[in-house]
Amino acid sequence: MIGLGERVGASPPRVDGAAKVTGAARYVDDLQPPGCLVGRTVRSRVAHGVLRALERDPGFDWSDVTFVTAADVPGRNVVTLIEDDQPVLVPVGGTIRHHDEAVALVAAPTKEKAEAARAAVRLVVDPLPAIFTLDDALRAEVKLHGQDNVFKRFEVTRGDDVERALAACDVVVEGVYETGAQEQMYIEPQGMLAAWEGDTCHVTGSLQCPYYVHKALKVTLGLPAERVVITQAVTGGGFGGKEEYPSMIGAHAALLARAAGRPVKVVYERDEDVAATTKRHPSRVRHRLGLAKDGRMLAADVDVLFDGGAYATLTQVVLSRGVLHAAGPYRIPTVRIVGRALATNHPPHGAFRGFGAPQTTFAYERQTAKAARALGMDPVALRRLNLYRDGDVTATGQTLRGSVAAHPTLDRVVAQLEQPPPAGRRTLPQAPHVKRGRGVATYFHGSGFTGSGEERLKGQATVAVAADGVLEVRAGSTDMGQGATTTFAQIAATALDVHVSQVRVAQPSTDKVPDSGPTVASRTCMIVGGLVDQAARAVRSKLEAFAAEVGLAADDPARGDLPALARRWAAARGELAETHTYRPPAGIRWDDQTYRGDAYPVFGWAACAVDVAVDTDTWEVVVERCVHAVDVGKAINPTIVQGQIDGGTVQALGWALWESVQYREGKVLNDRMTNCIIPTAIEAPELETLLVEEPYAHGPFGAKGVGEIPMDGPGAAVASAVEDALGVAMDELPLLPEVVHRRVRAGRAGGAA
Amino acid sequence: MMRCPPFRYLAPETAAEAARLVAAHGPGAALLAGGTDLLPRLKRGQAAPDLVVGLTRVAALRRARAGADGLELGAGVTLAATARHAALTPAHRALALAAGGAATPHVRNMGTLGGNLCADTRCGYYDQPRPWREAIGFCLKAPAGCAEPAAARAGEVAGTCWVAPGGRRCWAVASSDAAPALIALGAEVTVCSGEGSRRLAVAALHRDDGRAPLLLAPGEVLTTIHVPALGPAWRTTYWKLRRRGSFDFPVGAVALAVRLAASGEVLEARAALGGVASRPLVVETDALLGRRLDDEAVGAFAEAAVAPARPLDNTDYQPAWRRRALREAVAGALREVRGDPPEALGVLARAAARVLPRA
Repeated sequence: MIGLGERVGASPPRVDGAAKVTGAARYVDDLQPPGCLVGRTVRSRVAHGVLRALERDPGFDWSDVTFVTAADVPGRNVVTLIEDDQPVLVPVGGTIRHHDEAVALVAAPTKEKAEAARAAVRLVVDPLPAIFTLDDALRAEVKLHGQDNVFKRFEVTRGDDVERALAACDVVVEGVYETGAQEQMYIEPQGMLAAWEGDTCHVTGSLQCPYYVHKALKVTLGLPAERVVITQAVTGGGFGGKEEYPSMIGAHAALLARAAGRPVKVVYERDEDVAATTKRHPSRVRHRLGLAKDGRMLAADVDVLFDGGAYATLTQVVLSRGVLHAAGPYRIPTVRIVGRALATNHPPHGAFRGFGAPQTTFAYERQTAKAARALGMDPVALRRLNLYRDGDVTATGQTLRGSVAAHPTLDRVVAQLEQPPPAGRRTLPQAPHVKRGRGVATYFHGSGFTGSGEERLKGQATVAVAADGVLEVRAGSTDMGQGATTTFAQIAATALDVHVSQVRVAQPSTDKVPDSGPTVASRTCMIVGGLVDQAARAVRSKLEAFAAEVGLAADDPARGDLPALARRWAAARGELAETHTYRPPAGIRWDDQTYRGDAYPVFGWAACAVDVAVDTDTWEVVVERCVHAVDVGKAINPTIVQGQIDGGTVQALGWALWESVQYREGKVLNDRMTNCIIPTAIEAPELETLLVEEPYAHGPFGAKGVGEIPMDGPGAAVASAVEDALGVAMDELPLLPEVVHRRVRAGRAGGAA
Repeated sequence: MMRCPPFRYLAPETAAEAARLVAAHGPGAALLAGGTDLLPRLKRGQAAPDLVVGLTRVAALRRARAGADGLELGAGVTLAATARHAALTPAHRALALAAGGAATPHVRNMGTLGGNLCADTRCGYYDQPRPWREAIGFCLKAPAGCAEPAAARAGEVAGTCWVAPGGRRCWAVASSDAAPALIALGAEVTVCSGEGSRRLAVAALHRDDGRAPLLLAPGEVLTTIHVPALGPAWRTTYWKLRRRGSFDFPVGAVALAVRLAASGEVLEARAALGGVASRPLVVETDALLGRRLDDEAVGAFAEAAVAPARPLDNTDYQPAWRRRALREAVAGALREVRGDPPEALGVLARAAARVLPRA
């Protein structure tokens, strides 16, 4: 029987923990099949141009080098995702659209030879004028996508005409908010290994979504589904950064392996990974918020611009989520939100934890702070007046039905602020040149896919008695360090009433696990975990019925020993697999045409308060206190959940204060960990993380998503705190010391920063 | 992962032998101590020596000796060991802060004091992998101290400095933490060659040329750092600007040493800046002599001290911020040595306090 320390709600050790800390876990670069070649990528090195020719140095020894170009693609030369606009390799005669685009591939027996071969390929390119700013993209003198460079436009409207509604408000607050690109900086760079067995292509690697890669490789390789097998190796972090590019890198490895007749591994260098793969979308959000004198929010007009980069990748879905969160968790009767994602010649921007919501959250929470000041109201009181409660209607017309924790999360933060701060925290001295301020943010994050996404996706998960008699969870969801394996094991173990160690979670491989949908969108625990729970219960009742069939008496203790029953079943009848498919709860409606209806099955809620000290000698900002309350529905494993929130909070503080990907002419200037910096433990404040559990009726044990929401709000809280300290508007991220300095100087001069 | 190119490796047991090997081999030889500067450069294709002479077996380089006249530190003593060396007195605080605040614990456990003094200059346009530099057509700064295996090296030196494209010089930045501190302490070094050895001031070790900052002849090996004993009237410190309180190279730094009379007047002073030129900048300190360190003197000195600094757009942060913040750092360092309590000092003093274990 399961022990209390194993059940959902307890924190048993991670099932993958021992292998990772002892070094036994096998990441893709640890895999070394016999004869494996090293693959490298020849890149464009211009931001925009026409590829006229690829020339190979005739003096170089090519005898043991495999060389692959677009001409070697057996299927369609596209990375299939949403728009099929990105080539696997730019063909001769084709257009190069960013500085680090893949144009050819080499594979050789050693890294040294592969690198030398890469350097022995020369590109002949006719450069074209390029676009690096949102304004140039809008001007569309250079056309990268259609006539207007707009990848995608979304509009959400609610209520009256927004101009009329704003005109009738007592106060209108207006601001323009800009945020920069952010690199995921997972600890393990991207990497994929491909090997062909006859006509079947096996690809193993560091990835979030095996079925995304599967879908893309079928098209690139021109193969039927069963001849492409994608397996996830142990993966060292993703944060969204391993949603899009594993499909391309997997295709590269597969093409090289096909040409070489040997396994080929492509593992990116850090600089290559930072420069060539997706980062968070830089954004500019113009926001007008109208309020009544008493603080009621009456109208919001939001214009969202994202720099999508050179290719569509997942940009439109990121924009969609940004737009759907752009009015904030507030009752506002009249809303207009317009979002556009623009094509530029930056490397593609794409999925990153938060998925568009951090950018729009930054804007609306800075607006809320400014509105409080304009009205002379306490920022917490203003929020309490407007925050959603159960039964309120959102900007898309969704009526919130249960599990609304906007007020409880804020209340927890306010109560915690009355407690003394943690001992040993990092502070600045009390001195005249040190200014202090506090910022608050309240926000929400939709769990699961947007709109009808989950219904279309029909994610599946299986719980089985495997042929060897072991209880096994089979899901296409991946563990990249966030703890999905342990979470699934705990959910299944609780449903089956067995010990966590008696459940095996299968390695995600497209020939062994069903398509659970991608491991994204704060959906793994809530959606797929729910399927695991249902499938496990079905297995349990079959095994209990089996116990009766084989004649175990009702009071026989063996009837309660599910692992033993499973072994007996396997011996007598072989495998038992129960697969469940997601069905949305009744009454969910969404219209993709009008963008109205139930945008998400349910929302997670959060509140964050940040105290900062600003050294006005150096303009450095020190976060002296960070209180973060997050509603997760139910914490399946509180230690893992708190780890998710702590990590997301530090990533958000990094975006707010340190992380700045610098582009110059479309080229990443700081492409390594020595210069593309992220905060370390020394920079991180003592986090005061508070779990709030407002259960969701349709989640496993009440659980909702937690992966992304901690990323959304701390940035706005930090900026509001710095503004509170210095009295100058802080409307951009990251707030590097030089940025704070520039804004203070401009503020003193009386102009806009 | 990035790989080092192949090279031959020799590990002699004396510094003189190492010097002879390097001199005999010519420009294709490189010296290896802790490896924290050389190995990343090898991986980035910034050096391709065909001979690497390792110093790890030269036991003498790891010795440290304290005497009445001060401290003799072998060039191979690690930064970590330097920072916590028992013979350092409170007057050597600048060195403890500089060595203890360089990079990360891992790097300080490997990197040596001598290596830090000899570390190459840095630049945003140069400290990049080879394909990156290739994409911009390379720059003035050549892969240093190595032979030119013709094919690999061809065309790797352009006639342009991307930091100051009009000029003809390289502006890569001196990034040693130890050098300014040792200059402020009045330290000297001994270098040996096959022919013998010579002793020179740390201040004479570098020139203001980002391409070849080290004033050592090929085949000279830095063996010893001589840190003078400083009486209790000396007060020294080191303040460093960087993005984080960990990891990062200085983008501006000041080392300061003053000897104060009981009445508070400055009797002697030495100062040097790091991270704002291709060599450590020795600061003129005569204006302080005979003066008390009141706020007016502090402000005037800070302003004058940073006047020769030329922060350019080739490190982290914007040049204007670096100049302004460095002026504040100089002022803060002076306030620290005059005895202001740590609580009254800024972020940088806090960062320093974390570096040093409490006395």
